[in-house]
This record gives sequence, C-alpha cells and structure tokens, in this order.
Amino acid sequence: MDGRGGAVELRETHRLTGHADRAWALAWNPNLGAGASPVLASCGGDKTVRIWKRAPDGGWQCTDVLEDTHNRTVRSCAWSPDGKLLATASFDATTAIWEYSGGDFECVATLEGHENEVKSASWSQSGSLLATCSRDKAVWIWEMQPGNEYECVAVLQGHTQDVKMVQWHPILDILVSVSYDNTIKVWADDGNDEWHCVQTLTEADNCGHSSTVWSISFNQKGNRMVTCSDDCTLKIWDTSIDLSQPETGEGHESWQHVSTLTGYHGRTIFSAHWSSGDFIASGAGDDAICLFVEEKSSMVEGPSYRLILKKEKAHDMDINSVRWCPQDPRVLASASDDGTVKLWELRGNILA
Amino acid sequence: MDQQPKDDIDIFEPTVTLDQTHYQDGYKNGYDDGLVSGKEDGRQVGLKVGFQVGEELGFYKGCLDVWMSAIRLDQDAFSARVRKNMEQLAALLSNYPLSDPENNQVQEMMQNIRMKFRVIMASLGAKLDYEGRPTSSKEDF
Repeated sequence: MDGRGGAVELRETHRLTGHADRAWALAWNPNLGAGASPVLASCGGDKTVRIWKRAPDGGWQCTDVLEDTHNRTVRSCAWSPDGKLLATASFDATTAIWEYSGGDFECVATLEGHENEVKSASWSQSGSLLATCSRDKAVWIWEMQPGNEYECVAVLQGHTQDVKMVQWHPILDILVSVSYDNTIKVWADDGNDEWHCVQTLTEADNCGHSSTVWSISFNQKGNRMVTCSDDCTLKIWDTSIDLSQPETGEGHESWQHVSTLTGYHGRTIFSAHWSSGDFIASGAGDDAICLFVEEKSSMVEGPSYRLILKKEKAHDMDINSVRWCPQDPRVLASASDDGTVKLWELRGNILA
Repeated sequence: MDQQPKDDIDIFEPTVTLDQTHYQDGYKNGYDDGLVSGKEDGRQVGLKVGFQVGEELGFYKGCLDVWMSAIRLDQDAFSARVRKNMEQLAALLSNYPLSDPENNQVQEMMQNIRMKFRVIMASLGAKLDYEGRPTSSKEDF
C-alpha cells in the first residue's frame, strides 16, 4: 500500500485535462507553506499557464489559468526558489514574471530582449538571477531589483544554433545551456558581472551528444547532471568540479562524461529529470517514460545506472516534459503533445 | 639573302598589328568610360551607406546624450550596472572608425553596439528601437 514490497510499477494516478493544445512544460512549486499540498504549473501551445492543486477529495483541479498576457505559445515555466514568483517563457519573445498574492496571480514584469522565441527560463538558487534562452542563440541573465525591475546582467553568445534549455546549478552560480548545435555549455562569472563560457561539452572532445540536446537536470547535490538528446541517448556527467573558480595552473579541470544510456528510447528524448532521491525519469517522442536508478558501486569506475522500468504508451503522443515532485519523491508529472498532464506514482520495492 | 636595312620601316607592320591597335583603342575608351560611371556609382553607394551608418550611430549617440543629461541632473537616475553599460556604449561609439569604411571589423563593431544598446533598453524596460536597421535573424522555424 505504501510502496513496500511488490513489483515495481509506475501507476497513473491522475489525468489533468484543460489545455487546448499541446502541453509543453511543467514546474512544481518548490517551497510551499507548512502542511500545504503540492502545486503544479503547466504551460502550452494554447498560450496559457495552468495551476493545479489537489482538491480535498484527493482529485486534482485547475485553480488558476494565467492567460491574456502571452500572445503565442508558452514554452516553459519556472518557480523562483521561494515559490512566490513564476517565470513563463514564450514564443512571443518575452518572459513574464507572475506573483501570487491575495489568492491571485498577477503579471508583475515582462522581460523583453530576445529577438525571437524564448525557450526556457531558470532561477538561480540564490533567487536573484534569472536566465532565459532563445532561438536567437543567446542566453540572457537578468537580476531582479526592488520593485519588480529586472536588469540585464549579461548576454551570453557562443551557441551557434537555437538554445533549448538553461538550468542553474542547484548550489553554485553556474549556468548550463543546451542547444540544437549539439553542445552543452557551462557559464560562470568572474565575480565582476563578466560572464564567460568556461566549458563546452562536445561530441568530439567530451563524449558528448551527436544531435540536438533538449534538456538538462542536476541531481540534488549538484555533483551530477543528466542531459538528453535527439540522438536517443541520456548522458550522465560528473559535475563536481567548481568551474566558477579560476584556474591558475595549467590543466584546467573539466566536467567529465560518466555514462551514456542508450537503447531505451527509440525516438528523441525531450526531457529528463533527476529526483531528490536517486531516480532519473526520461520522456521521449516514443510516448514512453523510462525510470533509471543510480547505483552506488564499490567499483573504481563510479556509479552506474540501471533501468527500473519503461512505461510504454504513457501518453498518446510525444512527451515533452517529466518532473518529479519535490515534496513527494515518488510522484512524477508528465506533459505531452496530446494536451494532457498526467500524475504518476512509483510503487514497489526497488532493490538497490 | 640581303640584310634588311635596320632603319627601314616594315610597311606591313600596321596591317599586321591592326587588331591589336583597335583592341588598345577600345580598351582605352572603355576604361575611361568605366572610370567616370564607376566614380558616380561609388559616390551614390558611399553616400547611401554613409548616411545609414551615420544615422544609426547618431541615434545611439542621441540617446546617450539624453541619458548623460539625466545623470547630470540626478546621479542616481540609473543603477550602477546600467551606467556602466552606458559608458561601454559610449566607448564603442567613439571607437567606431568613421573615416575608415574599409576596416573589415566595422560589421562586428556595429553588432556589438546594437547589442549593448539592446541590453540597456532591456534593463530600462523601454521599447525604443532604432527603426532603420534590418532585423537580424530571418531563419527557418
């Protein structure tokens, strides 16, 4: 009943309908009040953002629809670490900032600067920096000022194609971006608002991806990250080196490839997310969700990754986003081109 | 058999070199014509491009002048970071080689100026844009 024993399964618990077009992305509010139940935001091609909460009877309901702000697809959403602000990135080239106050969501700022479709937004752990990326190949870093003003700190140019996603390290002020140009770039500043690309992970030099990289997710400690790609693989990287520290010596240490998980999905893997535990979820164009677990190994080579299960036909169409619930590490949400958001529960005993 | 006297004119020479003479005449006529029309075309193109560059740089400089005036009235009109960006824009503008149009870095310098201007605009939350310039990315989707 509570996950002890029994076969491992990913059981669908709820199906959230409401979006009138494909559901692109999801974000769980990371910081709820004491005793509050989880809050999920979803966004999509219908230009809206929907907020979902658990109802007293255990079902889930859409409590808010954020609309009439973006005039094109909302591609991605992200909560600030304190859970009070929601950033929404849109194909209309703007990023909107919403504040939840007095039971209502209000758009308190609109960030303009990108030349075309904004693909992703991410808040730094400190909460004061917001990164956005776009088809214009650039990554912008904004800093929040008093009064809901946002200043542009830097414009990072380096990718040669559409940038699909940006994600801050969970602890350090280090930013990772992934792109249609097949590379993963790591950015850090020198302490003086001067941001540089401190590492590029490529196919040729770092066992990187051979096609578009769609998503990136750090584990909770920040010493590992997973990326997924159009090349149908997931790659795990050792990110324990603090790349924001300047190297005075010769050999500049780098983040290393640890493992490539291949053969699990037959189509582009659009999303991967690392739970606060040891689970990695992936969602792909083959309509399936795969779950992997990191196994600590006593062998010198380090951890390995094992498939726990593959949920075929999790949705009727491409899965665009998978996200573990921060408050309940066995609950997973998925969003799909079929317009639905599904909630799943991982049940059973996973032997380490 | 007999040696030709050296200072005898070869009466056949003009006939034999006739086509060469005509070629040279034609070349000279063409070259002179081209020189005149090329100068005129070049003048037109130079005027046009020079005007476009001047207008765009003048626009940014005008904005800077207004911002500098605002700062003189109120030192805290803008945050330290925005002021720094404005100073960087001023430096980029004054480094632009107006008298050296063939400097092959002018394209890149103009891109840097445009980007710096957009960063300041974004930080001020203003929607002002220089209308004359072409939009950059016209890509497939």
